[in-house]
Amino acid sequence: MARQETLSRACMLDHPPIAYLLAVPGPEGAVDCEVGWDDLARDAAWTQERLEAHGLKRGQQVAVSFSGHEGVWFQPVIEALRNLGVVYGSVEAMGWDHVRTRVFHRELDLHAILGLSGETLEALSGQVMIGDLLRDTPVILARPEGAERLRNAGVSAAVLSTLGPALAIECPERAGAHVNRAEWTVGEREGRLVLMAAAVRTAAGREFVLETRGTVRTERCACGSDDPRVVFA
Amino acid sequence: MPEDRYLEPAVETMSRTALRELQEKRVLDLVPAAYENSPFYRELWDSHGVHPRDISSLEDFRERIPSFGKDVLRAYRARTGDPFGGLLHVQPSELNSITSSSGTTGDPEFFAEIWDGAPPLVTAQLRDLWELGLRPGDRVLSPPGTFRNLMDYGYHALGAVVISTNTWFGRMRETLEAVRRYRPAYMQLMYPQLVELEHMEKEYDLKELFSSLKGASCAGQPISPRMRQKVQNEWGVELYEYTSAADTGTAWECREHDGFHLWEDTVFAECLNPSGNEPVEEGQIGELVATDLDNRAAPLIRYRSEDLVRVSNETCGCGRTHGRMWVSGRRGDETLVGGRPVVLGDVWQAVEAEPETVAGVFQIVRPAREVDRLLVRVGYDPFLTTDTADLADRLRAGIGGRTGVEPELELHTEEELMQTVRSVAKFPRVVKR
Repeated sequence: MARQETLSRACMLDHPPIAYLLAVPGPEGAVDCEVGWDDLARDAAWTQERLEAHGLKRGQQVAVSFSGHEGVWFQPVIEALRNLGVVYGSVEAMGWDHVRTRVFHRELDLHAILGLSGETLEALSGQVMIGDLLRDTPVILARPEGAERLRNAGVSAAVLSTLGPALAIECPERAGAHVNRAEWTVGEREGRLVLMAAAVRTAAGREFVLETRGTVRTERCACGSDDPRVVFA
Repeated sequence: MPEDRYLEPAVETMSRTALRELQEKRVLDLVPAAYENSPFYRELWDSHGVHPRDISSLEDFRERIPSFGKDVLRAYRARTGDPFGGLLHVQPSELNSITSSSGTTGDPEFFAEIWDGAPPLVTAQLRDLWELGLRPGDRVLSPPGTFRNLMDYGYHALGAVVISTNTWFGRMRETLEAVRRYRPAYMQLMYPQLVELEHMEKEYDLKELFSSLKGASCAGQPISPRMRQKVQNEWGVELYEYTSAADTGTAWECREHDGFHLWEDTVFAECLNPSGNEPVEEGQIGELVATDLDNRAAPLIRYRSEDLVRVSNETCGCGRTHGRMWVSGRRGDETLVGGRPVVLGDVWQAVEAEPETVAGVFQIVRPAREVDRLLVRVGYDPFLTTDTADLADRLRAGIGGRTGVEPELELHTEEELMQTVRSVAKFPRVVKR
């Protein structure tokens, strides 16, 4: 059909190896980070494993809450969901658009909500009891401030967060958000989290001192993964 | 190839005859499939005594298949509890993604999507982005919204590199820093961003900063000639407006800036009498009624958009043969105040005429189309006035002079009013409260 033919035509163009460019803010200014197509493919494969650990599978419906500038982190999430055969709904993470999240939750049979933000929850809490609304949703992966708010409301939630140029996802053990050890080295320096890109990445060897604060756990997780885990402050 | 004006020359410049044949084939495939798979269409068409076997040409389709609007779909949804309004052609588990409408006039409504490679909305924009000048290796600033899915897939399909930076209202300093740092060729500039940038034009050399842009796009609401002039002449940005093609896709301006191109291999567009079913004469204003020709999930078939448009099938100056439309407003946007019609354009001109409200940030507040009084909510620049009583007097006189109706005014700062925006794509000009 028409759109598929348009895409076929576009496929004939020369495509650069870089998909994304971002400036990662740090205490001494922003550091550039290039993300290539191979990086994205590996990020999607790792994300798929993390989502499978939460029981996501073919035929389920999930809502993914993110903003337009978060494609570098959420395109791998979308690709992971597509590979799993999960149907995803796209909702804005901005608090003022919380009604969209509520409509998706009310009208669809959501097995999971991914990326739920503190802003969205704050806006929703002005209208409904968060616990009553979300307690029966089997899987919620929320931004750190959202996860905390949910736990306070008695809703079981794990963390899904951007971490500089990386993505961090808590497993069902909920003992810190995993960061893909094959792609990143994570450490702490003067209370800040520090990320270094592995040799395999386009941004190989580049260090990102983040504004994000937290602690790093390096012992093997009870889920069996050796990924470093971040506990956000 | 990169120097070519058309991404798909054979399609974009095909003869009207070939286009009609293509549309007829797709419509004749679509109708029986819809009757078989969609409970909504089966019920609607049965109630009108229409069966697919009655449809063997585009003429039959136009004469026999009933049109329908949003209210009919909402009623079906409310009655059956089907979130997709009975439109789905497949099982929900066969979808890839679910997106939604802007939600400016009610709860967001779902769009079911099946795709491979890139989501449908942005894929149908690739020809437009190519026309704007986007080429492999160019850099694009990420647009703010995701309610119609992640747009990056489309930019990537054209070989562009996406700059991840938050470009939503309130983040224009960050955006300008990204423009300075990465020199993008394309970005979206929606109305709220334009208003914010206008306040920063004394502080930044916007013309120099934006000199890397091949173009920027703007959608969601028409921008005023004044704002367009400013963006193009003072900031040096070629602005491409686009609009909805009745929820089947989008329609963009080309470099000629002479109407919005409908991609008629994806949509069968009709321009009908807003209060009837008969087509208006070419060039006359009517309601855009659209049929999806490239939607495997939940096609709209003779969907009444409420958009009042003028359509032309004349070949554009760009050489494309697909029809173009010019939007004159929304059905029902005209407000009747004590029986007297008030149109948005008149209010807009009066608001833009005052220096403190030159950005044209305003809304008509009305619980119903027919009201006893005209209530206008206007956003002003607090740096230009502290005497809001004087401003209110001038606005009342200006609006009253142009509309013949003495308005009631509600003044807010532009920022306050912009913060009430509930869509990254639309600043609603007519609101209920």
